[in-house]
Amino acid sequence: MSHTTAVDRALIVISFKRRLAYKSGWVFGLALGGGAMLISMAMWHNLLGTGSLSGYDWESMRAYLIIGFIAATMVFGASDFTIADRILDGHIAVDMTKPVDFQRARGAEYIGSMISTAPTAAVGVLGAWLLFDPPGPATPVAGVLTAVSFLLLFPLAFGITYLSILVCFWTKRYLGIMWLREALLSFFSGMMIPLAFMPGWLQAVSWALPFPHFTATPAAIYLGQVDVPGALGLIAAEAAWVVGLWFAGRLVFRFAVRKVTVHGG
Amino acid sequence: MADTLPLKHSVPVRHALAMYWRALAAQVRSIIEYPADLWVMASAGAVWNLLQFAFLAVLFSTVPDVEGWGFHEMLLLSGLLSIAGGANALLFDGAWSTGQMVIKGDIDYRLTRPAPVVLQVGSSHIGLQSFGELLLGFAMFVYGWIGAGLGPAWIPVGLFAIACAAVIQCGLVTALCAVNFWIKSPMSMFAFLMIDLQGGAMKLPLGVFPAAVRVISLFIVPVAFVNVVPVAVIAGHMSAWWLIGTPVTALFAVVLAAGVYRLGLRAYDSAGH
Repeated sequence: MSHTTAVDRALIVISFKRRLAYKSGWVFGLALGGGAMLISMAMWHNLLGTGSLSGYDWESMRAYLIIGFIAATMVFGASDFTIADRILDGHIAVDMTKPVDFQRARGAEYIGSMISTAPTAAVGVLGAWLLFDPPGPATPVAGVLTAVSFLLLFPLAFGITYLSILVCFWTKRYLGIMWLREALLSFFSGMMIPLAFMPGWLQAVSWALPFPHFTATPAAIYLGQVDVPGALGLIAAEAAWVVGLWFAGRLVFRFAVRKVTVHGG
Repeated sequence: MADTLPLKHSVPVRHALAMYWRALAAQVRSIIEYPADLWVMASAGAVWNLLQFAFLAVLFSTVPDVEGWGFHEMLLLSGLLSIAGGANALLFDGAWSTGQMVIKGDIDYRLTRPAPVVLQVGSSHIGLQSFGELLLGFAMFVYGWIGAGLGPAWIPVGLFAIACAAVIQCGLVTALCAVNFWIKSPMSMFAFLMIDLQGGAMKLPLGVFPAAVRVISLFIVPVAFVNVVPVAVIAGHMSAWWLIGTPVTALFAVVLAAGVYRLGLRAYDSAGH
């Protein structure tokens, strides 16, 4: 194992353990994500009844909402504040002196914190499965490809989060940036409402962004709304966003780091 | 701390309110020093509300109504909830810092000042997102009002509902933040949980939910009186008698917040003990 890989693994493990130490966070995440899922279930059950809307019936909508819950738990439960705080409180000045790539190290920590959301997601999914009995994947291949699209969420979520956190070089707080990102992600990913309900132009705007891969992509693959080549195409687009956002992060950091101020100095 | 410092100060209401407004004015001056934060936060509040509007517009392009409620009535729900949230962030956002202050012992010197601690803490911060929330919240409310065909005769009721919504929201959030006097956590989990679930559920008619949720939101944690009940009365979905519950809940929320805070101060033992 190379030195950099060992550092990555150590940072993932430290971040994972740090998050697991606060077990109340599991319960809190479950209450938040589970509550939101139950509210959506109540609304769509009322609207769909025994019929269907925009290609979704109650059966497929149940699976869709559970997929949205898993994505939301993974993404919204990760520790973005720790990265932002390093910039805001000036710790980044110390980080710059370390023989570790700043972006890569933060990526490892972020992914470690995402992995720590697994117990919350697992308990939530188990509960939802027992309560709502959603349909399984359209085919075994669709199930595997859904898992691949979920795995790509780890670097994709980091790419978007890191890029947005770099705005902290110009602001003194992170909260507004986080809200803005989460609002855009919730809407354009289809977590709030499936993209199929949107008019054509809004669907086009959504698919031109990285956000749909958080819910619309895994849901479309899982429900068999796309065939295998279509699913592979979506996964390729997701992977392209991962790479693009990684290099965009590098580019923006190069300019942003010139703005660093530590306690006004 | 509670043993050594008397908690009952006889502070005239006029003095307490004057202190509160001066503290808020000081916050406004500090906000102006950081314009980038102001714009980012205000934009976040505005964008969140724009997307709520977009959500409803997209939904109602497919369905005619939700449990008998039309597009404009649902806009009234979302708008009033945003106004209540915005008012809380503008007028009493400091309550969210209660947990942090308890852990760091920052309540200490507030206890020595001749003004109610809850007012000092509440006015110690302004949520900058409130500007965007209030602007877009009012826009949705007015658009929904006109679209729902509500006449000017209902305007006094609408203004009364807005005032009560702001008071209820501030009271309930403050009471739940005060729980941190006992659980010793920097994060106000209960308050956050309430506003998060309220933000999801109370943008929908109560009829969508099972009876247990309706009972809880009306009588246990009475968040339904912030927006659902007044809008349901104005739109004719509930009897006008329900409107009496709105000022009663506002009064209850204020008494609850003051009471829980007072009890919390008795349990407060500063930092490091």
